[in-house]
Amino acid sequence: MTFVQAVIDGLMIGGVYAVISIGLTLVFGVMGIINFAQAEFLMLGMFIAYFAWQLLGLDPLIGSFLSFALIFGLGVLVQRTLIQRVLNAPPLAQIFVTVGLLIVIENLALIAFGSDFRSVSTAYQTMALRVGPLFISAPYLAAFLMSLLCGVALWLFTNRTWYGRAMRATAQDPMAAHLMGINADRMRQIAFGLGVGLTAFGGAVILPYFTVHPTVGQQFVVLMFTVVVLGGLGSVAGAVVGGLTVGVIQSVSTLFFPIQLQNLVLFIVFITMLALRPNGLLGDVR
Amino acid sequence: MRWWIAGVAAVAVAAAVPLFLDPFGYAIRVLTLALLFAALGQAWNIVGGLANQISLGHAAFFGLGAYTSTLLLIHFSVSPWLGMFAGALVAAIAAYLLSFPTMRLRGHYFALATLAFGEVLRIIAISWSDVTGGPVGLSVPFAMEDSFALLQFRSTLPYYYIILGALVLISCVFLAIRHSALGYRLRAVKENVEAAEVIGVDTTRVKIIAAVVSAALTAVLGTLYAQFNYFFDPDAVFGIVPVSIRAAIVTILGGTGTVMGPIVGAFFIIPVEELANSYLSSQMAGLSQLAFGLVLIVVILIQPRGILVLIRDGAARFRKGGGA
Repeated sequence: MTFVQAVIDGLMIGGVYAVISIGLTLVFGVMGIINFAQAEFLMLGMFIAYFAWQLLGLDPLIGSFLSFALIFGLGVLVQRTLIQRVLNAPPLAQIFVTVGLLIVIENLALIAFGSDFRSVSTAYQTMALRVGPLFISAPYLAAFLMSLLCGVALWLFTNRTWYGRAMRATAQDPMAAHLMGINADRMRQIAFGLGVGLTAFGGAVILPYFTVHPTVGQQFVVLMFTVVVLGGLGSVAGAVVGGLTVGVIQSVSTLFFPIQLQNLVLFIVFITMLALRPNGLLGDVR
Repeated sequence: MRWWIAGVAAVAVAAAVPLFLDPFGYAIRVLTLALLFAALGQAWNIVGGLANQISLGHAAFFGLGAYTSTLLLIHFSVSPWLGMFAGALVAAIAAYLLSFPTMRLRGHYFALATLAFGEVLRIIAISWSDVTGGPVGLSVPFAMEDSFALLQFRSTLPYYYIILGALVLISCVFLAIRHSALGYRLRAVKENVEAAEVIGVDTTRVKIIAAVVSAALTAVLGTLYAQFNYFFDPDAVFGIVPVSIRAAIVTILGGTGTVMGPIVGAFFIIPVEELANSYLSSQMAGLSQLAFGLVLIVVILIQPRGILVLIRDGAARFRKGGGA
């Protein structure tokens, strides 16, 4: 039974992993760029939700929408001022612009908020649902359901709206999309805004069971990359599969290994995937 | 032959500078750190600059060097002079093993894989506290007296010369590789991997050789860092930003693929960072790192090929303007 429990725990966390990683894969799909600063936007989303809770009394699950909106705006700005300028540059310049961004955001947060660990307290923090012999923790379930909501919204956006279709068209062939009257630059801004906004949203919904501090992003770096590489860089559906898989791997591995070595197991999965199937579980074999 | 004479002159100047400084002072400490990171950048330059394999995981080798020699010193009283070779060997083996899954990867994918490798070693160092001391780190046992055999000195001066020696040595290795057949093959890999394969370059083999040499040299610097600082923790030697990214940044800031690149880059950014630290960090933690990140972004946006190219372009424009 502990195994089933671990799988369920893993799926709960995995749903959140999917949402925080979708942004990475979305941006890679549209622009061919990996945002090494992605986890810093997660941290910013957590801080926005934290302050919304502290100053306005908003529950983080509601504050998550504020996190999304503000970081979406920041993402559009970052795309316009930084990423746009290295779109056609060699990988070295592309990598180090976002690495520079990582350093800047992390240290701005350190200057602005100090290095304290902060957490929120909510009524449902310690509650759990009982399903037969299994337990589902309420904050985990809430975060999972919010992520699900977010995933459905993203699916509707990309498949049912003009903007979503235009964004996918830009990802497939920017030149053809341009000839069809699509403003490719605007689509890239929306993609980057969405990408970091979703990550910030995911950061906010885990706040009821996670502490926030300026370097919290470091814990998510290997994890996010494993999710997207597992699912295939550029594939949104892949990120969902990857997120759930990583959640389950992580949770089940704690049955066999000390909890600190979770990331070691992830790394082995990550490096094996990169070596054998760099295009991911759902991608073509290269 | 002109560059050869310039090199000897530069080393002579570098060797003379400390004669005008307080051997226990702050200035010589900053210069020693700049030399150390210049050497680190030069080691990174062998793979990052010549073959354009952008490693974000050199902290892995740096940390292996620091931990191997320090653990040997603590438990078996092995001199760091020998420990650094043990560390280099461990790092070389790690780089060789890592090369199997990563050698076919390019650009972003290679950067991702190496980044993850460094991160995992950091996590192991934090978790395996019986051996590594965990998040608290390790202190180098200090005998309270100068000992060349144990690589321990109270003043900074001997470290300055030892690390200067390391920089000269690594720069020579870099130049030797660059001007050898291996160097031309690495640059062929950088320009076009498929074309290199077609003309018969065993690209995997040359990339592995470069990675192993670079890792071993990086580990030696890890040992020197441990001895120079007397104390280190997992974040300091296995950290992404403090080591991996800094090794790449000093090289990129100066100019990748050139012997002067990491030296120019390190002597530009390390003093800036240290000054920001000493004057501003009492008020705001993170400010010097912020400056570090901003400088990186600005240089990449203005001239991704580095400060050396900026200077050359500027000089060319100046000459043109003067002639007209």
